Amino acid sequence: MSADNLIFEKSSLGARAATIRNPDVPVYAPSCALRENFDFPELTEVALVRHYTALSRMAFGVDNGFYPLGSCTMKYNPKLNEEIASFEGFTDIHPLAPEGSVQGALEVMYGLSEALKEITGMDAVTLQPAAGAHGEYTGLSIIAAYHKGRGDLARKKIIVPDSAHGTNPASAAMAGFEVINIPSDEGKGVDLDALRAAAGADTAALMLTNPTTLGLFEKNIEAIAEIVHSAGGLLYYDGANLNAVMGIVRPGDMGFDVVHLNLHKTFSTPHGGGGPGSGPVGCKRALEKYLPDPHVIKNADGTYSFAYSGDSIGKVSSFYGNFLVYLKAYAYILTLGAEGIRRSAEGAVLNANYLKAGISDLYPVEGGARHCMHEFVASCERLKEECGVSAMDVAKALIDRGMHPPTMYFPTIVHEALMFEPTETEDKATLDAAIEALRAVYDEAHADPEKLVSAPHNAVISRPDEVLAAKRQILRWKG
Amino acid sequence: MSDYIPVTEREREEMLAATGVKSVDELFADIPAGLRAGRLKLPAGLSQQEVYEKLKKTASLNRVYRSCMRGAGAYRHYIPSAVKAIASRSEFVTAYTPYQAEMSQGILRAMFEYQTYICLLTGMDVSNASLYNGATAAAEAALMTKERGRYKVFVTDNVRPDVLAVMKTYLAAKNMELVVLPAKDGLTDAEALGALLDGSAAAVYAERPNYFGLIEDFDAIGEAAHAAGAKFIGGCNPISLALLKTPADCGADIAVGEGQPLGMSLAFGGPYLGFIACKEKEVRKLPGRIVGETVDKNMRKAYVLTLQPREQHIKRERASSNICSNEALCALTATVYMGAMGKEGMREAASACTSYAHYAARKFRETGLELRYEGEFFHEFVTVAKGASDRILAALDERGILGGLRLSDDELLWCFTELNSKAEIDEATALIGGAL
Amino acid sequence: MSLYFTKSHEWADVDGDIAAVGITDYAAGELGDVVYVELPEVGSAVQAGGKLCEVESVKAASEIFSPVSGVVTEVNTALEDAPELINADAMTAWICKIKIDGLNAELMDETAYKAGL
Repeated sequence: MSADNLIFEKSSLGARAATIRNPDVPVYAPSCALRENFDFPELTEVALVRHYTALSRMAFGVDNGFYPLGSCTMKYNPKLNEEIASFEGFTDIHPLAPEGSVQGALEVMYGLSEALKEITGMDAVTLQPAAGAHGEYTGLSIIAAYHKGRGDLARKKIIVPDSAHGTNPASAAMAGFEVINIPSDEGKGVDLDALRAAAGADTAALMLTNPTTLGLFEKNIEAIAEIVHSAGGLLYYDGANLNAVMGIVRPGDMGFDVVHLNLHKTFSTPHGGGGPGSGPVGCKRALEKYLPDPHVIKNADGTYSFAYSGDSIGKVSSFYGNFLVYLKAYAYILTLGAEGIRRSAEGAVLNANYLKAGISDLYPVEGGARHCMHEFVASCERLKEECGVSAMDVAKALIDRGMHPPTMYFPTIVHEALMFEPTETEDKATLDAAIEALRAVYDEAHADPEKLVSAPHNAVISRPDEVLAAKRQILRWKG
Repeated sequence: MSDYIPVTEREREEMLAATGVKSVDELFADIPAGLRAGRLKLPAGLSQQEVYEKLKKTASLNRVYRSCMRGAGAYRHYIPSAVKAIASRSEFVTAYTPYQAEMSQGILRAMFEYQTYICLLTGMDVSNASLYNGATAAAEAALMTKERGRYKVFVTDNVRPDVLAVMKTYLAAKNMELVVLPAKDGLTDAEALGALLDGSAAAVYAERPNYFGLIEDFDAIGEAAHAAGAKFIGGCNPISLALLKTPADCGADIAVGEGQPLGMSLAFGGPYLGFIACKEKEVRKLPGRIVGETVDKNMRKAYVLTLQPREQHIKRERASSNICSNEALCALTATVYMGAMGKEGMREAASACTSYAHYAARKFRETGLELRYEGEFFHEFVTVAKGASDRILAALDERGILGGLRLSDDELLWCFTELNSKAEIDEATALIGGAL
Repeated sequence: MSLYFTKSHEWADVDGDIAAVGITDYAAGELGDVVYVELPEVGSAVQAGGKLCEVESVKAASEIFSPVSGVVTEVNTALEDAPELINADAMTAWICKIKIDGLNAELMDETAYKAGL
């Protein structure tokens, strides 16, 4: 049986993997709407396990090797947190069980919310959003409710810099706002004149990530906050890049009013091949009453309960969000403590600057004269001019060298961009090996560009035909 | 006390030197001094052992019931050991979204299998690679149906409250109106619905089984929707689909649901899995990641993320949704679950659910509890006993049984799955009898 | 018959009161392999400079703006199955025909358009 075959092609009639207890009551069949065409593949357990074990060997995670995927904070995911999230007392509790029977779960929610408030400098936190973009949506909905609650109905616009993550404008649109894109200035920070021109009586908020997507700290943050606030708008913090500055500077102290965090980035919960994540939202006191229902309060007798707000935007998710995910983040925060959180940010920034120093002579770095934060954006524009090798080719060549490529072609304000984020959990030897690989690829680009353009050569597949995929639209197995 | 930073003190000095600075502080020179945070007011870090012990103790403050007779959107099922073993493989757990297809074929293939399974389950043509949970899936499906002049979404008040609440939040922002109709005998009143639908109707959303466990007549609801030119969104419990007609066969344009019963633990509400599938003609409105089959340069079969221009990273404010991270590992879990259960296992589980539920309903009635609704149900049902809800729950609780969900002083919503047994139900029956 | 261009890289081939509309070779080149054309609805009214439809490649989605005001009378259904026609020859791969009731004031002739590239 080829490793290329899908599970549907491995079915063997009558084979069984899992078996369940025979019901010891009379068998009942519903009296209506019965189905006659149900069919699933049938496999033995060994065939099933081998199939997915083979697939796992065609996947690459942080546990397999270096993963400097910019903006994604692919740090090591501690095994301790995974084990804690498998405790029966956490996995086997019903979300609608009586409050008295889930005091431990409520304690986790309360404790984590308190910690995140302190880390972000906010007054209140909700854990309900299931991912970063979901957090953005939630935060922006709170902003909409806040303006509406003040009778300020004209604030329909969200200002977004052109360097922002794509989720920012998409979330703004989903929350019912119009998006105003503003260009970056020469240093690729927010163009203050453009911001002044855009901010006004119709501004609901400015969305900003700081450090920016170029990995540079937005030095004008106080001036930016002043412009937006004096126009009557609010400041929204996209927490995707918090790993650079946690414990060093807090969004709340920078002037931000609402913030979302990506626990699957900054707080080390695993990405699971794309999810589940967790995207808590924090806000200042004036917006607290609009947070999603319910939230957890601590009673005078030390017990915990759910509480509801009459002004809440409602619910954004079933139940209370991704509990087991944020539980892992809580374990991580307890382990690190105040000092460890700060040390992690320092380590992330040191690692990024060290990697940058090792390659920026060959791959010029945007804003390279400044120290970067947790990530930096290198350009292959010169390389492409010199030998026709693009950012994509460099990325694919890195696959052959056993590391995951950096983020490609983002942010779009840099041509042939490669965005590196090594994180603090990599050791010097790994960074040295990555520097060596990138320098070797550069040399190879000049010596044998053809080889790079056709990379990777040692992966499970060579480059896939994405145009064919989009045109043929084979989106499921059909037999 | 612990952190996960492997760089040694000596290496740190070397790295600082290579970077051209004397201290790490210098790297943060761009941050205005006035903004710097002092030491965070958090406890000092703990050793791994201390964290383990502390949270073990916290977990023990949660009560794991010996027997669970509660569902209402979160269902306790048997999870085959192979599911947990595969879904905890760290190549899957610690990977990111499969942007680099050459390194991610394993994840992409598993997602392609997931999409196929969801299509087989629902009868639909296309599935995405997952949404956050059943509630956001229903809300995103409703957003898909907005068209020029069509902005109203009709539901009956017998859908899950969380689904209704999330739909309400999502639709309001997009200037869509949610119209909630009263249920008739616990069911959607297709006739009354049909009379209300007009050219402003974008969609009708219904659940089968609905919140009260009842099996809705999807055919009639679909017909009413289509007669007015509106779309029909069918919300389904995935386990029930091994026994019940597919939403596609009932005329649904979009099928959604909570995928948690497919191998995910109760986990106090998450992470769960939102599934969404649709007819081929709706594919460009479908939110989220989609995996497609293609070939590589050597004509070998390959899988990639496809139809990406729908998504936020390309279309930004014009995207069909803002979703980026989804519930990939939960989708993988569901895939392995469906693989492990297979055709017979899925049917047996569904049959056990409905058999235990009907047995329990019969036994409970013998004690004097009455069924609130007459309609056919799958694995949940509502009972009535004047003012007895708290008494019943307390009697069960004392014996380690999590009884039905309290809907009112009189009403309880019960759920049974293959994990229950005759002995448990008989025991509960006796306890209820005693409480009444 | 006369051929007009817009700054946003569309063309309009005007014959009487009907304009055939497409995107330029330059725009097609910038997009890369076109994999999907979202055709406008026949009978829909469009404004000069307003959004007409979208054209997608694998990594981009580009809004197409109408060079003229009027009502869409016909769409090129051949693009549904063969969007690559746009890459083969964008100047003949018309997207739709519009019955004109007004021209965009900023339309250019070919020389002016090419000078601006």
